[in-house]
Amino acid sequence: MTSDVGLVAAREMRERFRGRVFRVGSLLMLAAVGAAIVIPTLGHGKAEPQSVGVVGTLSSPRRATVVAAANSAGTGVRFVAEPTESQAYRDLRSGRLDLAIVDGSELVVETPPDGSSTIAQFVQAVAQALGYDQAVDAARLSPAQSAALAGAKPLPLRSLQPGVTKLTTKTAGTTSAVGLVLVFLMLTQYNTWILIGVMEEKSSRVIEVLLAAVRPMRLLTGKVLGIGLVALAQAGAIVVFALALGEGVGSDLLHGTAPVTLLSTLVWLFLGYAFYCWVYAAAGSLVERQDQVQSLAFPLSLPIVFGYIMAITTVASGNASLLFKVLSYLPPTAPFAMPVMVGLGQVNWLEFCASALISIVCTVGVARLATAIYRRAILRTGRRVKLRDVVGLAH
Amino acid sequence: MALLELEGLTRRFGLLTALDHLSFSVPAGQVVGFLGPNGAGKTTTMRAVFGLTDLDAGTVKWNGTPVGATQRRRFGYMPEERGLYPSMLVGEQLEYLGRLHGMSGADARAASRTWLDRLGVADRYGSKVEALSHGNQQRVQLAAALVHGPELLVLDEPLAGLDPAGIEAIGDVLVEQARSGCCVLLSSHQLDQVEDLCESVTVIDHGRLIVSGRVDDLATAGARRLVVRVEGDREAAWARDLAGVIISEVAAGEARLVINEGIDSDAVLQAAMAAGRVTEFVFQRRRLSEVFREALA
Repeated sequence: MTSDVGLVAAREMRERFRGRVFRVGSLLMLAAVGAAIVIPTLGHGKAEPQSVGVVGTLSSPRRATVVAAANSAGTGVRFVAEPTESQAYRDLRSGRLDLAIVDGSELVVETPPDGSSTIAQFVQAVAQALGYDQAVDAARLSPAQSAALAGAKPLPLRSLQPGVTKLTTKTAGTTSAVGLVLVFLMLTQYNTWILIGVMEEKSSRVIEVLLAAVRPMRLLTGKVLGIGLVALAQAGAIVVFALALGEGVGSDLLHGTAPVTLLSTLVWLFLGYAFYCWVYAAAGSLVERQDQVQSLAFPLSLPIVFGYIMAITTVASGNASLLFKVLSYLPPTAPFAMPVMVGLGQVNWLEFCASALISIVCTVGVARLATAIYRRAILRTGRRVKLRDVVGLAH
Repeated sequence: MALLELEGLTRRFGLLTALDHLSFSVPAGQVVGFLGPNGAGKTTTMRAVFGLTDLDAGTVKWNGTPVGATQRRRFGYMPEERGLYPSMLVGEQLEYLGRLHGMSGADARAASRTWLDRLGVADRYGSKVEALSHGNQQRVQLAAALVHGPELLVLDEPLAGLDPAGIEAIGDVLVEQARSGCCVLLSSHQLDQVEDLCESVTVIDHGRLIVSGRVDDLATAGARRLVVRVEGDREAAWARDLAGVIISEVAAGEARLVINEGIDSDAVLQAAMAAGRVTEFVFQRRRLSEVFREALA
C-alpha cells in the first residue's frame, strides 16, 4: 500500500504536470535560458581578425609573435603595410587599423581599449610578447637560454589553510544572474501554487474529506513534497538543457567556475523552496478567497523580492557588502545571496555549509509552526483567519 | 454489532457552547436521523467523530474503543458543504479518496466504477466535478463517502437540494448500507424524508440531547392525534372551545387535533357532528415534525 504522503504527493504532481501553467511556464523558462546561453555566442564565429598596421619593418619572428599573441587572445591578425607613420595614424583614426606597430618597437592605438574586450586582450598580449622578445634580444641570450626562459613555469603556491579553499576563483557573474532569475521565478511560482492549492482545498471544503482520512501534517507534507518534486524536475530539466545547449554552442557561461555556481544555485533553490513552502502553506490555510490570497501574497513576497534585488545589485557591482554577506546567512534571503557569494568567489565551503545548516534548522522550526497554524486554521471558514487567532494556540 | 458511541461531548467556541455534554449512540443495521434546528451543534458533532474539531471534553468511541486515525480510515464522511476537487476528474477523485482510505489502486478503481454505476452517474467517470449538475455532484459526493466500503457513514444533510428521484436513489443506498450492517448517521432538515428513511432519530438543541429513540416509539408516544374534517367548517371553529383538545394544524379543511389524556374521543366526535357532516375522523401517529416541534418546545 502506498503511503498517504506518497498518494498526496503523486496527486499534486499529476495535476501540476497536466496543467497548462506548468507547460507554458517551462517552455518560457527554457526559452529564456536558451537565449541567455546562445545570444552571447552569436558573434564568436564571425570575429574579424585584428588589423595591424606595420610602419617600417617587422621581422618574421616578431610577426609570428604577434600572431601567437592574437591567438592567445582568441582572435586573428591581418597585417597592413603602412608607408608612413602619419598614414598609419590616419588609418587608426578612420578605424581601418586596430593597432599600429612602428619600427617594431612602439605600439599605437586610437583610444585605450576597454579592459575586458578582445582588442584590449590582444593589445595587451602583443605588448607583452614583443616586450619579452626585445628583452631577450637585449640580453643576447643563446637559443637554449631563450627557450629555457620561454618555458618557465609558475612557482607552486602553498596555502596557510590548505583545507579551506574558495569555491570559485573568479566571478561567474552572468551565470549567477541567470541562476538568480530562475530561482526567483521558480520560488515565486511554486510557492504561489502551494498558497492557492491550500486555499482551494479549504474553499472547496474537500479538506474536510481529506482530513477525515489523513493527518494534517502528512497531508501538508505530501502537498509540499509533490510540488517540490515538480519544481526539482523542472529545474533539473532546465539545467540539463542549459548544459547540453552550452556545450553545443560553446558558451562561456557554463565553463570555468560556472558549473559550481550553477550547482550551488540548485542547492539553494531546493533549500529556499523547503523554507518558503511551509510559510506559504500556513498562509494558504488562513484564507479561502482569491482576493484574500492576493492581499496575503504581497507581504509574503517581500523577503523574496528584497533578496533578489540585493543579489542582482551585488552581481552587477561584483563586490559583496557586509549587509549582503549577512543576508547570505539568513534563510529568507540566503537562496539568492549565497549563490552570488559563490559566483563572486567570496565564500568557502565551510561558510557555504554553515549557511545551509542554518537554513535547514530554521526550516524545521518553520515547518512545525506552519503545520500547527495549518491544523488550526484550515477548518475555520467564513472569514479570513487572523494569524493571532491561531498562532497563540500553535505551540 | 458495531456501535458508535458519543459520550459527554463538549465543545466551546469562546462564549458559545456548541456541544454541552452530548451523549448518544448509533447502532449498526439502521439509519439514524440526527435532527436539530440551525446552530444546534449537529455539524460540530459530526466533525468531532472525524477529529475535525477539538473537544473540550468527551469521547467518541467505536465498538467500545476511543476513535483514532486507524478507525477513521474505515469511516465515510459527507460534509454539509460538499468537498471535492472541482477540476479533478470524477473517477480519479474517487480512486484517490479510496486509496487514501487504504485501498489498492485496482480495488479503488473497481469500487469507483461500481458506486458511480449504482448511483446512476457511471457516464460521468471521466468528467470534471465542476461540470456536473448539483444533483450529480451530490451523488458523486456520496460515492466518495462509500467508495472504501465504510463501517460507519456520517452524512451531513445528504438530501439537501435533491429532486425526488435523487432523494429516492440516495435513500435506497443508505437503507441498503444499513441493512448490510453499516452504521448510518444522517442529519437533515427535511423531516418527512427522515421519517421515511430512518428507524431512529436523535434530536439535539443548543448542543444538548433533547430526545432520542425509534421513530415508531416516538410517533406512538404522547397524546393521541385525531384528524377530523367537517363539511362547511374549513377553519375547524367547532374545535376551538373544546376542553382538552388542541388544534395542532388546519389545512385544506382538515383539522389535526391533539387530544389530552382523559378526553373521550366520542365527545369530540359528537362536537364535530353538531357542527356539520363529518367526512373524516381518523386517529393518526405523531409525525416526526411534531415530535421535533414538541421536543424543542
